[in-house]
Amino acid sequence: MIKIFIWVSLVSIVLLSPFIGATSLNLNAILDTNSLDNTIFFDLRLPRVIFAFCAGVILSLSGLLFQTLFRNPLMTPYTLGISSGAVLGAGIAIKLGLGTLFFGVAAISLFGFLGAMLTLLLLIYLSQFLESSKHESLLLLGIALSLFYTSALMIVFYMGSAVQNDTLIRFTMGSLSIISWESPLFLGFIALLLTLSIYLFRYELQLLSISDEQASLKGVDTKKVTLTLLTVASLGIGILVSISGPIGFIGLIVPHIVAKIYPSTVNFRIIKTALFGGFFLVLCDTLTRVIQTQSELPIGIVTALIGGPFFIYLIITRAQNVKH
Amino acid sequence: MIELHNLSCSFKNKQLLTNITQSIPKHISILGANGSGKSTLAKAICNLVKYDGEITIMGEEITTLSLKDRAKMLSYIPAKLEIHDPYISVYEFVLQGRFPYKQSYSNYSYKDNEITKQTLEFLKISHLENISVSSLSSGEQQLVLIAQALTQQSKIIIFDEPTANLDPHNSKLIAEHIKGLKEYHQIILITHDLHLACYIDSPVLFLKDKQLSYYEKEFFDDDVLQKLYGVNFHSMALQYD
Repeated sequence: MIKIFIWVSLVSIVLLSPFIGATSLNLNAILDTNSLDNTIFFDLRLPRVIFAFCAGVILSLSGLLFQTLFRNPLMTPYTLGISSGAVLGAGIAIKLGLGTLFFGVAAISLFGFLGAMLTLLLLIYLSQFLESSKHESLLLLGIALSLFYTSALMIVFYMGSAVQNDTLIRFTMGSLSIISWESPLFLGFIALLLTLSIYLFRYELQLLSISDEQASLKGVDTKKVTLTLLTVASLGIGILVSISGPIGFIGLIVPHIVAKIYPSTVNFRIIKTALFGGFFLVLCDTLTRVIQTQSELPIGIVTALIGGPFFIYLIITRAQNVKH
Repeated sequence: MIELHNLSCSFKNKQLLTNITQSIPKHISILGANGSGKSTLAKAICNLVKYDGEITIMGEEITTLSLKDRAKMLSYIPAKLEIHDPYISVYEFVLQGRFPYKQSYSNYSYKDNEITKQTLEFLKISHLENISVSSLSSGEQQLVLIAQALTQQSKIIIFDEPTANLDPHNSKLIAEHIKGLKEYHQIILITHDLHLACYIDSPVLFLKDKQLSYYEKEFFDDDVLQKLYGVNFHSMALQYD
């Protein structure tokens, strides 16, 4: 009953979301192709809602994937510094003023992806040197990398002009204000690719969530599966972050809520986590448009305000579980 | 049928096995002191640790086999299950034994589910099927691991100290199961438990000073045991009944 209520409310918010914002829209005017309302609805609000949905899918699924593969609820692309790597990459592209396309991909996206990917490779390389309680140390490595990237980004700021810095600051706050249909369609494709790859490997993931040893003994090529999935997730995160800036904590919160609602093995939670993540980010985005400030509230700030306390809650409950 | 050829293996930078050449044609129990490398040997056979030399199963070098083919020949049962998934049920866990037979990307088949149900009934643990594996007692966990190995239908089953965490009652129950499995499977038993080794009644490989030595029934003679372990034994006390 509660489950149905949660899903119905989420879906209704998503359906209502394009009608909510600074300008209130008239239903008749929306249908009139020459009106401003029509333009706002179809060229601004609708692509934005779709973009937010796809971003939510990518963030929550990559969170679920990292948590499963590293067997720790605190492991997400955000906490491991992969998101920061993408921010730094994209930041450098903005600073260099790279507006050109490489093979049809915007330079910022390419740099964002490279930042995410290089961070992932660095983590994999460094994790070889970690001993037992490996996963806790990996988290510390991620935090160290994040701090390092933040400083590196400061240097980019320091060297940038006032105009570039304004763009950069806006970018690092995370924003879903997009102005065309290109980004949502591109991101939709990436979200679909990520969902499909994770779904195809659902039983491998079910085995991997027990232990690497169990998976390997049952015939899973653990290295290949892990690397493939982490690469697809980093691709998704890199591209998303290069368009929207960092949006933290969704990957941490959503898989956890879905696991609370559906306490089942990971293979049953993949599609639910994807949908819930999409709906949840649209909800957060709708909030930014409802809360009236001088300009629109950046989405990254909203998710961080919800996510920060949640992160602390997770750490505390985990510590208590270990004690008992 | 396992053949070890010039096998050397180390664990945490400590050389545990040196140039071992040994044929393991049928059931065997592997004994030895703590830290002598018994588990490392088992893990080498499952290709879970790196090694030098050759290990062949039914004539095939294990590193050249596909992982799924290897899983069809060989299952490994650890002393204690390391389980990070708090949700997986006994049924889902036992069904995972069918993974090497499952078509890539698809669901488990009707047949896989039937085999799982039959195995749970055979081991009389059907009543546990919806309980999460992480909440089971050590004895129940051993049974569930055996069930998973049975659905895996591998010729060879390696037990790594199956009774290490069990009370005497459960030890005897597991011992009976292992003995029963000897009919259709090649059982490789790694253990400290002399009761168990004596009851299972397979030839013994004793691992000492990085080398294996082969014994048959004479292993359980008081003076042999005394020589190997340096402790006085009365082997009559090793009987279960």
